This record gives sequence, C-alpha cells and structure tokens, in this order.
Amino acid sequence: MLAEIGFVDIRVGPKVDTFGEAGGEKKARQFEVFGYSFLARKPR
Amino acid sequence: MKAETPVDPRALREEVKSKYRDVATNPRGEYHFHTGRPLARRLGYEQGVVDAMPERAVESFAGVANPFSLRRLEAGERVIDVGSGAGFDCFIAAHQVGPQGRVLGVDMLQEMLERSRAAAAEMGLANVAFREGLIEEMPVEDGWADAVISNGVINLCADKRRAFQEIWRVLRPGGWLQFADIANGKPVPESALRNIDLWTA
Repeated sequence: MLAEIGFVDIRVGPKVDTFGEAGGEKKARQFEVFGYSFLARKPR
Repeated sequence: MKAETPVDPRALREEVKSKYRDVATNPRGEYHFHTGRPLARRLGYEQGVVDAMPERAVESFAGVANPFSLRRLEAGERVIDVGSGAGFDCFIAAHQVGPQGRVLGVDMLQEMLERSRAAAAEMGLANVAFREGLIEEMPVEDGWADAVISNGVINLCADKRRAFQEIWRVLRPGGWLQFADIANGKPVPESALRNIDLWTA
C-alpha cells in the first residue's frame, strides 16, 4: 500500500516480540503477531 | 470514491477511544499489552533518554515497536507524531531534533492530550505542542513535516489507505515516514476482521 501511494525507499525492521509475557500473548501467538518498524520516504 | 472497510470507521474509533481513555487515566491497569518503562526497555528505546523522563511522560506509553530504530531524526527537523497518545514518542523526538526542531503530536483523545501537555510542561519542552485531531484529517498544513512518526496507531484505523494518504499530504517532498506497528504472519479469519471488539483486544 505504501508503494501504491507513492512512497519509496521502503524498509521493514526486524520483528519485535511486543506481546510476549503480556495478557495478549496467547492471541498474538495464534496469528503470529509481532511489532515492526517501517521506514519510507516521499520522493522529492 | 468511498473505501471498503471491514468495520465501521466511526464505531472502531469509539472503541479505540474507550480503550485508550483507560490507559490515559489508569496507566497501571491490566491490559493485553505492556505499558510504561518495561515496554520501552522491551522495544529497545535509548535507556538513558527514557530514564531521564518523569514518570508522567512514560507511564501511559503503549507502543508496539520503536519508530526511531531505522532512522534517527535530525537536528532541526519538524516532526508530526500521528496518534501521539500520552506523548512519549514526541518527547523522544524532541530530544533528537533539539531546540531548533519542532514536534507536533496529534491525538483524538482529550485525556491523552491533557496528559501529554502536562508532561511537556513538567519537562520544560518549548519545542513540543499537541493538537486534537484524527489521522485521517490532521490539523496541519500541506508539506509541513520533515518526518512523520507513529506507533501502534495505523493498525487501529479502518481505512489505512486514507491514513497513509493524509500522511503523504503533510510530508514535504523528500520527507520521511517512520512508524511502528503490528503485523500478523498468519491470516486472520474474515469473521474476526469484522468483529470490532477484536480490533483492540
């Protein structure tokens, strides 16, 4: 979607176990939910 | 053309408001996600910067990853935090852009805005401001920002394309979008996608 809108230089960082040991861990594991950092640039 | 969304955007917004109003007013409550300093440690934020913040600035933090991990903001940049919550990422941003930079947090919840403004005042930050608004209609002029940050917010928007298009509008040409969010490795059933209660569960 980012590329469709026009963003370039798109990067995704490594996954982070955001919900580990939290109340939502079970549901997060069920759907393999993790946190990620994203970077993109609007062209000049 | 109106975008097709799995849930009613207004109903989802009210559900999100209810959940995060609790986080603002009761940061030490029981939630399905981590909050505060333990979460900041888990997500790899600069420990020294977080340690220097007053409790009010950190305790309601409820992000999902670190939007500064792929790019550090530059001194003097103008930054918008979309869905700024209690202001934690705005305060990290203010540290990175320095006194010549400007940070603007946009959030739809009065309780979060009050908390973030109080924390900014306690920290004596003159380069941070907060405005009430929605990600889909930000109260910011076209091309104002050198960078837009966000943390755990876009996944809570029913119409993500509209959210990204609005971010595009407020970014200057050459500006950066650096955000953190959750993504699932296994497909979520259609029935769950249409269940508004599960969006914030």
